[in-house]
Amino acid sequence: MSWLPIALVAVPLLGALIAPAARDRAVTWGIAISAVVLALAVTLAAVFDHARPAAMQLRTDRPWIPGLGLRFHLGVDGVSLPLVVLTALLTFLCFVHLAGHPPAGGRTGALVVTLLVLEVGMIGTFLALDLLLFFVFFEVVLVPMYFVIALWGGAGRRAAALKFILYTLLGSAVLLIGLLVVWTQAGTLDMVALAGRHGSGIARSAQIVAFLAIGLGLAVKTPMWPLHTWLPDAHTEAPTVGSVLLAGVLLKMGSYGFARIAIPVLPEGAAALAPWLGALAVVGIVYGSLACLAQRDLKRMIAYSSVGHMGFVLLGFASLTPVGLNGALFANVAHGLITGLLFFLAGAVKERYGTADMRRLGGGMLRRLPYVASLLTFACVASLGLPGLAGFWGEMLALLGAFRPAAVVSRPLFLVFMAVGGLGTVLTAAYFLRMLSRVTHGRPVETIPPGPPLATAEGVREVLSEAGEGAEPVEPVAAAAAVAALEREPEAVADVGEAGATGAARALGAGAADAVETGQGKRPFRDVTAHELAAWLPLVALIVLFGLWPKALLAVTTPAVQALLGPGVAP
Amino acid sequence: MHLVYPVVVSALLFSIGVYGVLARRNAILVLMSVELMLNAVNLNLVAFDVWLGDRLHGGQVLTLFVIVIAAAEVGLGLAIVLAVFRTRRTVDVDRLRALAEVVRTPDPGRPEGEDAS
Amino acid sequence: MIAVVALIVLLPFAAAVAGLLATRLGTRNLGARSGPAAYRRAAWFAIVPGAVSAALTVWLATALARRTAPAGGRFWSELLPGRAEGTLTLVETGAAPISLTLRADGLSVLAGILVVVVALAVQVYSVGYMRDEPRYPSYSAFVSLFTSAMLLVVYAGDLIVLYVGWEIMGLCSYLLIGHWWEDRANSRAAVKAFLVTRLGDVGFLFGIFILGTAAGSFRIDDVLRADILQHAENRGTLIAATLLLLAGVAGKSAQVPLQTWLPDAMAGPTPISALIHAATMVAAGIFAVARLYPAFLAAPPTLDVLGVVAAVGMLGAALAALAQSDLKRVLAYSTISQLAYMAAALAAGSDRAAMFHLVSHGAFKALLFLCAGLVIHHVGSNLISHMGGLRTALPVTFWTMTVGFAALAGLPPASGFFSKDAVISAIEHGTGPAQPFVQASALLTVGVTGAYAARAWLRTFFGPTRIEPLAEPPPGVAHVFDGREAPASMLWPAGVLAVPALLLGLAGPMTGVEIEWGSAAVSLAVALLGAGIVYALWRAAPEQDPARLLGPFRVPCERAFYVDAAYAALVARPVLRLARGVVRTDARLVDGAVRGSGRATLGLSALVRRAQNGNAQLYVTGLLAGIVLIAVAAVVLT
Repeated sequence: MSWLPIALVAVPLLGALIAPAARDRAVTWGIAISAVVLALAVTLAAVFDHARPAAMQLRTDRPWIPGLGLRFHLGVDGVSLPLVVLTALLTFLCFVHLAGHPPAGGRTGALVVTLLVLEVGMIGTFLALDLLLFFVFFEVVLVPMYFVIALWGGAGRRAAALKFILYTLLGSAVLLIGLLVVWTQAGTLDMVALAGRHGSGIARSAQIVAFLAIGLGLAVKTPMWPLHTWLPDAHTEAPTVGSVLLAGVLLKMGSYGFARIAIPVLPEGAAALAPWLGALAVVGIVYGSLACLAQRDLKRMIAYSSVGHMGFVLLGFASLTPVGLNGALFANVAHGLITGLLFFLAGAVKERYGTADMRRLGGGMLRRLPYVASLLTFACVASLGLPGLAGFWGEMLALLGAFRPAAVVSRPLFLVFMAVGGLGTVLTAAYFLRMLSRVTHGRPVETIPPGPPLATAEGVREVLSEAGEGAEPVEPVAAAAAVAALEREPEAVADVGEAGATGAARALGAGAADAVETGQGKRPFRDVTAHELAAWLPLVALIVLFGLWPKALLAVTTPAVQALLGPGVAP
Repeated sequence: MHLVYPVVVSALLFSIGVYGVLARRNAILVLMSVELMLNAVNLNLVAFDVWLGDRLHGGQVLTLFVIVIAAAEVGLGLAIVLAVFRTRRTVDVDRLRALAEVVRTPDPGRPEGEDAS
Repeated sequence: MIAVVALIVLLPFAAAVAGLLATRLGTRNLGARSGPAAYRRAAWFAIVPGAVSAALTVWLATALARRTAPAGGRFWSELLPGRAEGTLTLVETGAAPISLTLRADGLSVLAGILVVVVALAVQVYSVGYMRDEPRYPSYSAFVSLFTSAMLLVVYAGDLIVLYVGWEIMGLCSYLLIGHWWEDRANSRAAVKAFLVTRLGDVGFLFGIFILGTAAGSFRIDDVLRADILQHAENRGTLIAATLLLLAGVAGKSAQVPLQTWLPDAMAGPTPISALIHAATMVAAGIFAVARLYPAFLAAPPTLDVLGVVAAVGMLGAALAALAQSDLKRVLAYSTISQLAYMAAALAAGSDRAAMFHLVSHGAFKALLFLCAGLVIHHVGSNLISHMGGLRTALPVTFWTMTVGFAALAGLPPASGFFSKDAVISAIEHGTGPAQPFVQASALLTVGVTGAYAARAWLRTFFGPTRIEPLAEPPPGVAHVFDGREAPASMLWPAGVLAVPALLLGLAGPMTGVEIEWGSAAVSLAVALLGAGIVYALWRAAPEQDPARLLGPFRVPCERAFYVDAAYAALVARPVLRLARGVVRTDARLVDGAVRGSGRATLGLSALVRRAQNGNAQLYVTGLLAGIVLIAVAAVVLT
């Protein structure tokens, strides 16, 4: 019986219970607890026997509800180890970010408690080895995430949070049905035992039904097209830490379920439904990419890009080959790192500009916020799957899996999937580069077009709206400043049109604007801060590390994946 | 006398009482119908008691119970009806719908922030 | 020795990392604007590792030359017999493993020398060219990163490693074309370059998949020894693989139909055009075919396709170059045309001729671009109509650029004469159904090449000096013209590159590339004919553009036969329209279904709630009905 997995689940729980006592120092307490959890996760990785990643290690197996046969069974192997470390890391970085950026809705202590409870659920899901224990942890994350969105989110947070929780709860109900089918058919809830049997005790029709139910439930979480529509709203309205954890970890829980439960335990069901899974996956890739091309809101765009990336993960799973599963698991971890970084950056942009709407952001971020814009370029380049950064290997291995899928599925069909997935990568590059061109390139300050003095604030607004479509976007801050200036001094309209505009433009064009007058008052406009760098640099380093040295992850997952798929699979 | 006569009468009285409870609008008439139902039950009890020849006369004893309870219930019921009349100026049962639910279907709402041009 | 190769590849990478992260460390200015100290430090970071890499490459070449040749090698085995290969580690993927392998043989060293020499020249040149420009440290860091990526492609021993370097080059190209991102047109050109090459790269990756899976490993040696190259029944797979690889080659080397990005890429700084879009990155496609040449030789239909593509490209691009009014665009189309020459040589079965022309073209085209940069730096504009009579004002530039144009037109003794002759004789000896078409196209292109080279040369350096007034810069900003031709850091690289542009051809016969005097004379005559026609037209009217000989075809040629517009209308706009449609579908249909389920549930509950009308008698009725039902059920069912 190993105490390490128990500690990984117990420490955040105790931290959450004690956090209300910390009062003003709640965030410090949160950082401390998540640092302890991160240290425990790193210890887990160090203590893990890297020579036998296929074997389940550091196990804890105690009876939990003897009457039902439920056991408190925790353990870690090559598939779950990277995800546990990723979760601990992202939660720690969220707390570091929180230290420098108190949440907009106040109640910081409550947010700390919520995040710690969320961490319990997330880590527990990856450690659980009993089907219903997995389900319990799977559900535990829903309520804290609902509160994170509903209490600390943006303008449309109530509807988005409601949609999130109801949709994923519906999926979980279907998932539970599938798990119960497995239980009644196989007689055991132990994932290790079930995976070892490779579906031998369960009838084929039962396997298909169970895979369908479990697959649907996990597909809502992943998310898979067409069950994805909760994601854009949830991401747009969630606060930065919520989006990071939602994209970085919660989505992984869905795909992890495929790797841990659906495919090893129900291989015949998987073989029967893999073509559907693959088809919906590539539809998601292309659909997500096309939807991103037409988005206006930065966070919504990144949300749809998550749909596309998880499409690659599902395509890897659908191929039912070791290389496909390898690719899917690698893409999982890479997506967690990269999209976590993207959401951190989007949150930083939103905080500085007051909006994430790309038309209102204007352009020229490389001039106004060079470090933030450079990091945004880096994150987008990583996300579009450039080789040398972490995003490439997952996509490549998933496509390689689709190129030669398992013998039980139709190869021509999967070749079509592979081709469509390849086109999806081009579309991914298109929307990311287009976004970068709109937001980071171009000139940051556009003066209001000179002409006869603009008499009223309405006149200013009219000119701005004319300049909007198709032309260079007008700097929102300068315009807002000019409008605000006009509204404050309606008498001095004679020369305010040019002087006020150029004055505002000159002040901003000096390039060293520390505080910018917007319609809502002063707002700090500094480039990247120390807290942000501390939160972002570990992600950047890991993205580069896994990109240049994919063996770090593949060495751990390859044997585990081969064990999960069973002895009949050619390496 | 054969058992069937009082039993049929009791059933008829009971049915009239049920009809009165369900269909009459005046609250006092509803109470009267409840009384009718209870008295029908009393008749039934006495008839069966005589027919069965019970030594303890359970039926007739229960009848006395029912008479007392009916009296208490009518008193309370009339008091309620008087209170309702004082506040609502009506004893029409159909008008007393405060427990009803207003039926409305709100729209779950559309998301913002996309280029739906 | 493989450690030396690794060092050659890694030194520029380290320079890039240092250039991006460390130029401002220790200086007091950690803000966004770099001071002169940061610029100096960045210049050191850029030049020193590049110079060391160049020296190591030369050492490697000599080391390989001293070895003995293995049996059955390719053409470079006579030049540089040795081979070195080393694997860092094997990455198990679950399918074919990826080996992080580097290899150095004659082909790599040949291309490697080209890369390091041109890269070093460009870095030195940039110090002067970019002196007053913003963001020089990041610029030089990206150039170093690009150099490292290209060297990785050249020295890769594994197809996936090659692909990694391939794509990183594409990224650096994007970052550098968009260097002056204040103008959105540059940003758009960079995005276009990346997307078009990425489209080709998808095909390239799929071709790699086929080859790697068939060979059971991604190592180039294993692939070239694999069964599918040997046995005829696997020809279909091999043809599919090589055609897909051609997609990537077409993208990277700007061949039809993926050539539209290269002229727009001229939006980047001229040294970048010299390095990436003339000498190295665009040559990577040709290099990749040469590297995997045994696979291509075993799939003749692919080579036929390549020949046709090359034939169309070379003539079309040459005609387009004749009609351009921007000097850099002339050179860009010229690059497309010359790359098509190399592709035609490969299609004809001679990778020796292709590589010879690749190296020679790398030298003279880089030279031409650097000189164009000198001219543009002096005049302040890219347009040929703003130039003229610069012979006396820019003497060094004039002589070096003359060498470059002579090499381009194929006039002896410049290297272009020998390499072009090698290509044309290879085409003549080629077989295959497309050979007559390719040969005719090649001969015509020689003439047109002479024509546009003469046009650019005459209109730039001869004729009346234009007195186009430059726009007055804002007061307080230093004027562009500072009295001398150019700083020494810009003139030296041009001069250095002029040497191989002039003399490299003489190295050809020494390495066994024979000159066929017959075809050489014919092509020389055709080139002189083309140049002569242009000269005559120019003499008749020095003010006017000799391209008027194209007559009504002038505008289609200038617009490159409207290929760009066709792509915009057929691909770009429909995709954007589709994207908007997807967003609408998502909001109305998919999400509509979700919201609809919510509405349906609420509607259903409204229906059920109708029973709660507050009427107590209704409730009792329901109760009674239920009791009756239960009683009946109890009586009937028992």
